[in-house]
Amino acid sequence: MKSVLGDRRAIFLLLAPALTVYSLIILIPVFWSLGYTVFEGNAINGFSFVGLDNIKQLFSDPDVHQALWFTVRFALVLTAVQVALGYLLALLYVFVLRKASNLIRTLVFFPVVLPTVAVSLLFQQLFEYAPRNGPVNSILNVFGIPSVDWFGTSTSSFWVLILMETWRSMGFYAVLLYAGLVDIPEEVLESSRLDGASGLRLVRHIVIPLSMPVLLSSIIFSINGTLKIFDSVIALTNGGPGTSTTPLTVLMFQTSFGYGEYGYGSAIALLLTMLCLIVTIFIFRSSRRDLTKA
Amino acid sequence: MTVIQHPSELRPAVKASSVSGRRRSARRPMRTIGNVVLAALLLLIVLVPLVWLVMGSFKTQSEFLNNPAFALPDSWTNFSNYSAAITEGHLGTYVRNSILTVFPALFLTILFGVAAGFALEVMVWKGRGTVLIAFLAGIMVPGQMILLPLFTIYFKLHLTGTLLPLIITYTAIGLPLTVFMMATFFRSVPREIFEAATLDGATIVRQFFSIGLPMVRNAIFTVALVQFFFLWNDLLIALTFTSSDDLRTIQVGLLNFQGQFGQIEYGPTLAAICLNVFGTLVIYLFLNKRVMKGLTAGSVKG
Amino acid sequence: MLQRGSKTRVIAGVSIVAAGALALAACSSSDDNATDGSSSSTAGKSGSFTYLSFAENTAIKGTLESLSSDACKDENASSPLKVTTQPQASFDQQIQLLAGQGALPSIFPAGNSPDVAKSLDKAGNLVQIGDELKALGKQDDIIPAAKSTIEKLYDGKDYVLPTEFNVEGFWYNKEIFTKAGLEAPTTWDDLVKDADALKASGIQPFAADGKDGWPLSRLVGNYIYRSLGADALQAVADGTAKLTDSGYVEAAQKVADLGKAGYFGKSVGSIDYTTAMNQFLTGKAAMYYMGSWALSNFNDPKQNVIGADNIGFVPFPAVTGGKGSADELAANVGVPLAMAKSKFDDGAKAWLGCIADNYGAAALNTGGVITGFKVNDDSTDVPALTKSVQDTIAHTSNTVLWFEALFSPKATTTSQTNAALLATGQLSPSDYMSKIQADLG
Repeated sequence: MKSVLGDRRAIFLLLAPALTVYSLIILIPVFWSLGYTVFEGNAINGFSFVGLDNIKQLFSDPDVHQALWFTVRFALVLTAVQVALGYLLALLYVFVLRKASNLIRTLVFFPVVLPTVAVSLLFQQLFEYAPRNGPVNSILNVFGIPSVDWFGTSTSSFWVLILMETWRSMGFYAVLLYAGLVDIPEEVLESSRLDGASGLRLVRHIVIPLSMPVLLSSIIFSINGTLKIFDSVIALTNGGPGTSTTPLTVLMFQTSFGYGEYGYGSAIALLLTMLCLIVTIFIFRSSRRDLTKA
Repeated sequence: MTVIQHPSELRPAVKASSVSGRRRSARRPMRTIGNVVLAALLLLIVLVPLVWLVMGSFKTQSEFLNNPAFALPDSWTNFSNYSAAITEGHLGTYVRNSILTVFPALFLTILFGVAAGFALEVMVWKGRGTVLIAFLAGIMVPGQMILLPLFTIYFKLHLTGTLLPLIITYTAIGLPLTVFMMATFFRSVPREIFEAATLDGATIVRQFFSIGLPMVRNAIFTVALVQFFFLWNDLLIALTFTSSDDLRTIQVGLLNFQGQFGQIEYGPTLAAICLNVFGTLVIYLFLNKRVMKGLTAGSVKG
Repeated sequence: MLQRGSKTRVIAGVSIVAAGALALAACSSSDDNATDGSSSSTAGKSGSFTYLSFAENTAIKGTLESLSSDACKDENASSPLKVTTQPQASFDQQIQLLAGQGALPSIFPAGNSPDVAKSLDKAGNLVQIGDELKALGKQDDIIPAAKSTIEKLYDGKDYVLPTEFNVEGFWYNKEIFTKAGLEAPTTWDDLVKDADALKASGIQPFAADGKDGWPLSRLVGNYIYRSLGADALQAVADGTAKLTDSGYVEAAQKVADLGKAGYFGKSVGSIDYTTAMNQFLTGKAAMYYMGSWALSNFNDPKQNVIGADNIGFVPFPAVTGGKGSADELAANVGVPLAMAKSKFDDGAKAWLGCIADNYGAAALNTGGVITGFKVNDDSTDVPALTKSVQDTIAHTSNTVLWFEALFSPKATTTSQTNAALLATGQLSPSDYMSKIQADLG
């Protein structure tokens, strides 16, 4: 039996296409790019070897510090908000709306379909301050609150970005998590109900632990997506006001292709990759500990 | 990955018990009203922007600039934005290109990804954990990083000027998530099924096609759906690897309505987006029905 | 969230793999010029004449296409024009990638900033267009003002073609000015006084696109040219002066003062190009600093509610006691075109000659665009406003550039992204200037 499920030829046959494409198109270019971190220059003027200068520069560059801080803050807040909201929605679908949730599920998922260009245009209009007030400010005015210049300060821009991304992606995470929740056997829930667990206790002690794998995947997926936020920032705030909402990805893109410093751009990309790696490992570790406890 | 496996024997009972669950909630009318309000609120949050989008697609540039965001358009029969989107915007060409790149890439990603997921999760061999992690790590590297090397590679292979670079890149970039998710799904398929099939003398390739694939059919639809929207909405890769108008995909095409100094033709842009969105919505609804049907029937998890 | 990428586990082998890959890349980019097939040989038969366009710019494409079926029919027969496009945002990236492969198109926009063309030229990739035109005896096809602007822009060399020639200054709403009893300002103090009077009567003095930033930073640059003289920013580029010197900071201070007084309206940072243009063209703002490329908007009655004959133009006003004069119009050459040496075969050479002779007239006739080429054909029917700008250009002998013209791309980005913060008082003038100075490198 082992010999069939361990058949080397079959394993090769099944794995080879994916591994080949993946290695050629992703792994090799990544290492290739990482090689640039010890060089200076660009494709026009050629490259010259600079050793670890690019890496050293990362530590002293205020632009990198600002972008790193923004990226981390943004990813943590957005992941927390969008996964939590997605999870609440998924709970709502499974335990409250039940079969009726089909239409809602479809519609709440819908914003993911919209192109970034459209969503950012919409949010710019919603939060408009000048030359005339957008709907959000008009509503604030009704309640006697003065209009806010949403894109004028870094704090409010940050929150509009968070709000826009949450609006776009909560339905997506809801569907992802829903898939994990419907899979919890009704018997397990039923027997805990009989044992007197209900409401929050049921969710906390039964539902969350049982949906942990898919919750974990969602968090990892979300953190890796949000650490690499790109189009939305470009389209909504263009990194502004000033450079206060510029994430590492945008800085990297500008540095490599805008300023023609490909080596330094690769160093920034390396920093971002390390960040993703560390955060992912951290989530794995902490979740494993929790699970063994539970 | 730590995964809790639920006892699979319990699974067939899902259908019966969920029926009893519904009966219970129907007994509380107050709760039902609350649900309706909640659902309505959700719909409002999602639909209001859609209304804005559709209204905007009928507005002229000066209406867009000089009237409030949610003012009704002057004319609902002014389709000039739509004709501009289709003729000046070459929307037809762009949609065709998007379809010609996204669907082949999607097919290949899913085929390769499911096979790899099967090999990594069902088959028994040394080093599979490492390979799985290697794939997982692929979710982490920023996409901007592979652009310059890939451009060089495609150029050397004389692939620039065709849609192939897009198809190849999309296939590769979809793989990490697909492999990772498929491995997770295969994990929840009871191993006994494969072991029994092995005892019956089925070869592994046969097992893959006649047992593995059907068991995760719904999961495949879910993954395909997720991948579809990522690829369909891709801008970065499409921008880098298309240099002629004939190769442009829909997302890059949407940029055509922006001028050199940052000016935007709002009407045609929104009309093009509307056409794009409703097109994808049809695809989504079609796929969604299949996915959800499978899910609620309580067959293999999705 | 759209771009998801690839993988890395940082292992010991990184440097080995990378070094190998790099060696590969290095070898290949040098010998690739030759492997590009028939079109790269400079002698003998000619390949097609490829033009890589900004996707956003349809004017040049349209003009070249009209030439190909009209004045340059013969050139097009031997070397057919082929147009490809690339959005502006990713254009510099694309040019870098193509240059690295020795695969530049025959003719292309010289990048989003002059630095792109400068580094291409340094690497020996560009045709010395000025010399070639001289060899063809067509050097007079480029008008002197455009030639001088190009030379100021590209370290005294002229390897680009001026497909536009734009002058910049303040456009003002004549009706509003007459009603308020004001006259077009000729000095900076007048400008401030006018703005103050307009604001007092409830009219927003200036419309400005603070979102893109450059319309604001150009005010800073113009003030520097007027107060410190036409070579003041060349001095910064040469390193003999710094933007943090008091004279330069004063310019930023003056623009910040306009913002502080509320002359740009509220939250100038969230006004984009289209909105600013619309504010001026619907009479909601009295003045608008912009280049003459906006004439196509001004001449379009659908956009222009106030009427084209209601718009007046004044050069950036003089600064009392300053070294510069208001006669020195701020000018640029729009999207200048460069040509790749590797594709400069006989066909491309013939095209260059034909473009030099005919582009000016064709651009004016097809799109009403004023170029830096001599118009070798008495053009008909130019709108009055365009005509008056043409006259202004004809009477201009000295031009100045704009604030970021000689900056590195990084300093340009810094200058433009922070300009709105300067105007809204969130960044002090000295901080603004020292940020840019730091990025000049």
